[in-house]
Amino acid sequence: MAKQEEQKRPPGVCVPWQEKMKELGEIRGDGELVRKVWKDNDALGYMYIWQCLLSF
Amino acid sequence: MAKDAETLYGERLKRYTTAMRNGKPDMIPIRPFVAEFTAKYAGYNCQQVTQDYNMAFEAAVKCAADFDWDAVVANMVYVWAGITQAAGLKYYAVPGVDLDVDTGFQYREPPEGKAFMQPDEYDALIADPTGFLFNVWLPRVSTDAVAPGETNTFRNNMSFLKGGMAMMNYFTAFGPQIARLKNECGTVSAIAGILKAPLDILGDKLRGYIGLCMDLLERPDKVLAACEALMPHLTSVALSGADPDKNVPVGLWMHRGCVPFVSHEHFERIYWPTLKPIIQEINKAGHQVLFYAEGNWNHHLDSFAELADGSIVYHVDNADIFEVHKKLGDKFCLSGGVPNYLLGYGTEDEVRQVCRKIIDGVAKDGGYIMDASAIVQNDAKVENIRAMTEFTREYGVY
Repeated sequence: MAKQEEQKRPPGVCVPWQEKMKELGEIRGDGELVRKVWKDNDALGYMYIWQCLLSF
Repeated sequence: MAKDAETLYGERLKRYTTAMRNGKPDMIPIRPFVAEFTAKYAGYNCQQVTQDYNMAFEAAVKCAADFDWDAVVANMVYVWAGITQAAGLKYYAVPGVDLDVDTGFQYREPPEGKAFMQPDEYDALIADPTGFLFNVWLPRVSTDAVAPGETNTFRNNMSFLKGGMAMMNYFTAFGPQIARLKNECGTVSAIAGILKAPLDILGDKLRGYIGLCMDLLERPDKVLAACEALMPHLTSVALSGADPDKNVPVGLWMHRGCVPFVSHEHFERIYWPTLKPIIQEINKAGHQVLFYAEGNWNHHLDSFAELADGSIVYHVDNADIFEVHKKLGDKFCLSGGVPNYLLGYGTEDEVRQVCRKIIDGVAKDGGYIMDASAIVQNDAKVENIRAMTEFTREYGVY
């Protein structure tokens, strides 16, 4: 599984949080909440394309 | 007095899981992978169960209610055409659209020159598999999706919106369907999660079989690197759909990674080293894997025997199940072995004879689940499926 670290987008990720975070600038409230919701929704996009490949 | 669904479910879950751990339950579990057969039995045609998943779910429930089966797949006609049409996927021939209403859906592999991934695109796939799928693969396999840099279209936007919403709609319907099987029929949902081997994915959906064979000769290192790049993603997808209760296995659908589709050398150097660690990772998380060994994988039984005892359930399709049992029977539960041609064209007595032979030969000490060789489609006779079920119940008691 060594290749995982080298890839731009690891499993479960389409648009990495680090990339999105730069666009948002300083988060005035709960940054962890913003990160979690971003990642949860981003994972749905990931599921979509890999399920298209594997299941459909 | 007939048992209630809750009692039946408890007994069946215990029976099924005991056998899958290679133990000896009270009787041989029955877990037929019934697909279009469910439509035939419940009075639907292939178009109906492929295009309307509610009809497919109804058909699965009707079969589970009427046959004494321990476990079934919640919908074995898994490819719901609602999703493939919303996303514009063009590689399926759909009953009622491209095929007559009584023919099951078919996968159409493109000719070599029109493969969904070209031989000079390995580096792009390896560097960013998810990006490659979205930006390169999907626009090629879809009638509607547009690649970045091309003029955007309304149909492109809608294909992502509708495809995503259709998938969510479908996946969220499985929870209630599994609950119906449990509560109305006392039947266990047989598998959870999906896995395919990296080399099979390359052959099936990216390079095509002929393209992959050329690559194995001309650029084997690229093929290996691509398989390695797919590994963490395939592991992640498999684990994301696995049974949280760790009762039922992740399904591994094995296609063309065996001799004679590929050479022994390519199996040993690429197929197995990029699949085995995925299996071990899934095992480490507490899940078994069901090897659905389509075709004949008996050239590779020694490799499969490298896996830990009880880590997989090994389903036998066209291979000699007695040879499989000799090599793997001490380590893993086996399933299948009843030829589909017999279920379609044989007599009830012939079905009973084959079931008896399999039970006598491989099920004596437990660790066996009754099933057809391959997925059961609408060519199987109802009376033959009934004969397989009833004979196993009568003769398969320990």
